[in-house]
Amino acid sequence: MRPLAAADLTDLFRLMAARIDAERLALGALDGAIGDADHGNSMAEGFSALAHACAEAESRGVATGDLFAIAAHAFLGAVGATTGPLYASAFLQAGQRFAGQVTIDPVDLTEILGDFSEAIAQRGKASPGDKTMLDVWTPAARAVAEARSKGSGAIARLDAAVAAAIEGREATRAMVAAAGRAARLGPRTLGHVDPGAASAAIIIVALRDGMTAFFARGSK
Amino acid sequence: MTPRRETAKAQDGVLTEMPMRFGEDPLLWAAWLYYEDGMTQGDIAKKMGLSRASVNAYLADARTRGLVNIEIEPDRFRAVSIAVALKERFDLQDCLVIPSEGGERSLTERLGAAGAQALRRVMRPGDTLAVTWGRTVLAVADALSHPGLDDLRVVQATGSTTARIPWTPETCASRIAQALHASWVPISAPAIVSDPALRRDLLNQPLLAEQVAVLAEANRILMGVSSMRPESTIHTSGFLDSADHHRDYPDAVASIVGRLVSARGAAVTGPVNDRTIGIDLEALRRIPQRIAVAGGIDKIAAILAVLRGRFANVLVTDAATARGILKADGWQESPRRPALASATPGSAQIRSHAKKLFNAPQDAVDESLAGALTAHGAIIGPVPETSRAVMALDGPREGKVGIVIGGGSGHEPGFWGYVGKGCADAAVIGNIFAAPPPGPILAASRAVNRGAGLLYIYGNFSGDVMNFDMAAEMAGAEGVEVRSVVTTDDIASSPPDARGSRRGVAGNVFVFKIAGAAADMGASLSECEAITRRAAARVYTMGLALEPARLPDTRQPSFELGPEDMELGVGVHGEPGMVRHKLVPADDAADMLLDRILQEMNPARGDKVAVLVNSLGGTPAMELYILTRRIGQRLRAKGIILHRTLVGPYYTSLDMEGVSLTLLHLDDELVTYLDHPCQSAALTITARP
Repeated sequence: MRPLAAADLTDLFRLMAARIDAERLALGALDGAIGDADHGNSMAEGFSALAHACAEAESRGVATGDLFAIAAHAFLGAVGATTGPLYASAFLQAGQRFAGQVTIDPVDLTEILGDFSEAIAQRGKASPGDKTMLDVWTPAARAVAEARSKGSGAIARLDAAVAAAIEGREATRAMVAAAGRAARLGPRTLGHVDPGAASAAIIIVALRDGMTAFFARGSK
Repeated sequence: MTPRRETAKAQDGVLTEMPMRFGEDPLLWAAWLYYEDGMTQGDIAKKMGLSRASVNAYLADARTRGLVNIEIEPDRFRAVSIAVALKERFDLQDCLVIPSEGGERSLTERLGAAGAQALRRVMRPGDTLAVTWGRTVLAVADALSHPGLDDLRVVQATGSTTARIPWTPETCASRIAQALHASWVPISAPAIVSDPALRRDLLNQPLLAEQVAVLAEANRILMGVSSMRPESTIHTSGFLDSADHHRDYPDAVASIVGRLVSARGAAVTGPVNDRTIGIDLEALRRIPQRIAVAGGIDKIAAILAVLRGRFANVLVTDAATARGILKADGWQESPRRPALASATPGSAQIRSHAKKLFNAPQDAVDESLAGALTAHGAIIGPVPETSRAVMALDGPREGKVGIVIGGGSGHEPGFWGYVGKGCADAAVIGNIFAAPPPGPILAASRAVNRGAGLLYIYGNFSGDVMNFDMAAEMAGAEGVEVRSVVTTDDIASSPPDARGSRRGVAGNVFVFKIAGAAADMGASLSECEAITRRAAARVYTMGLALEPARLPDTRQPSFELGPEDMELGVGVHGEPGMVRHKLVPADDAADMLLDRILQEMNPARGDKVAVLVNSLGGTPAMELYILTRRIGQRLRAKGIILHRTLVGPYYTSLDMEGVSLTLLHLDDELVTYLDHPCQSAALTITARP
């Protein structure tokens, strides 16, 4: 199996951007219920900027591993908001793992879930159970680590992450928001899926689907 | 109060189903059917198997007892429907739901009383009752008094814990035993021992083996439910001292009998499992009657987990918690009146897709900022290297502290309206209702830095805090000294003891003004920071919305508000507020806002205040002045001096219909800074005559 080149990583980012964009209104509606309804726009604009910047950098011959830092800055510059610093930190931390690498081993790429989870927890200062995106990133990262310890391959690890992400997203329904803007609403957040958790799950599903497509292409 | 109608049902020895708390109260049933379900007296008589005359008598009785008082006491009736819903959904033997609020007693005490009532009803001679520990269980013990039954035994469900809490397993069980006049069987061992071998050895000790054998014979158990939040019983009792729950039990959301449960209701095992002395979850589920007494919003996820796992089959809780559990599990409350049901869904459609003067929605922010620069080009100009910041033309100067303000756009004339001489030096704006990224904040910082340091002022939203903090770090790395003041004036967004987590909203207008004056008058960075903090600490805002804001790209309301509703404590970003309320007349609305503010501000007669009656975007001047009139009357009656009054759209939320009221509690120094002349697009103050 060949490793991921810059174009492959850019494709993954493009797929994430497309999936987020398709859910832009739905994410906005989720946010409207318990926040300020901007989450769909913020995420869509951030991922769109990120995918463009990476495509542009890839055409300049930037090493695959260095795309993460470019993604981070593009996302932050386009968005700000709450998601800007959180995802920028996440991409930066993942980028440290691969800095300077010309290609990335697909199995190694699954480790970014752990990086995302850690960086987002650190920047956002939320804990699992606070009804935030962390309630998806943390269990997804844990699922990858568990699958890794069983010796599973990249897709199996990502499948585990997707299952954990979806479960994590649904679990936010039963949570009372304790961090972020929704925290002010307290009990009124019950029964609602957290928008940040919903978009995190979209990203993880897109990563899994994109990697599945990558493997399908590679085997032809 | 609750009409006490103990039904004279013979104690049949074997418990099948205890009567629903209010279910056998015909008076209440009749009132419900009549007032809530809209049935006729004749229908009710048929349904309940009563004569029409008795139905009539019941209804009259219900009215005289205050059960029905134009409106029926909603919590009590909700308690019935909610209890039924919980019972059906989670296959419970019984469910007792008490109103969430009432009287002086705490929720724990009230749940304790309800739990005691449930326990009194179910206990039978010869029973063996296992008891866990916690605040609520101890509250049950406190409320319990019982004449006593033959051959009752109460046994501890687990070993003992450290005595640093008053509700240890041994205390709870012994107190319950005492109240029931039962014999008490302790578990004479610690709940957690240091290794599994020690546990095996201990369980082989004849004394402990005998006690554990009694536990195995329990036919009922009384338990509390603990969440996994840091302040919860499972942590404070030292039960998990040797484990890190996030690391060792990442899936756990609830704790019962010292064991952990996942959100799906599955047992979660970890390092302390085979070191725990006490009943395990499998054995727990074999106990025929498992009574959980628990309530509180923070416990909803935990109680839901316990119900999903069928670890409890009788639940005693309160209405708010019960609704929360059901809502979290996806239950939809059926509309209470058909008339309302038909009115609500259609109304959202009518109000959607507002007409707007936009070109491409994604250009709205840049285009409106360009318009501001066109209109106010004598006061503000663009900041180099960014399209999302403006600076004062006659502002920054050598030795003057630079005031940089900002936040999301959608609050026009916030934030660029407060840039100018004697006001802020620069304003940075983000996308609609979204914090600006660090890049433009840094660009603005560079543009207005004149060597005396910078003061960042912005409202307390997590995005603003993160982005301004990142920009401050970057500016610091360039050798610019930056201090930050985060405004927290929205009193509706958190209780007074959590002022630090409140939002910063229209009170910003006064805080920006004061900070700008201090800088303009030559205050040092530390002095500017101190006076700005004082202004921020003495400013209070409360908002209300009649209609939500509609976002440019969707032109749809950001949340739904019924045709007869208003939302109190609404956020400036179109966030839903704290409380939904029936629409009231202007004077009542003004009083609601003012009373809450005065309650916190607590001014003395003769104190001076500055008042801002602010439109959230969609409310016209006429309504603002009606409110201003009332606020003036009220303040005069209290002997409070209106030093300065601002009325208009100063800090908006797109087109949200609604207002906010801000009061700044002045002192002499704040008066000086407030009266200092300034000239900005939205606020100009000339020297007072």
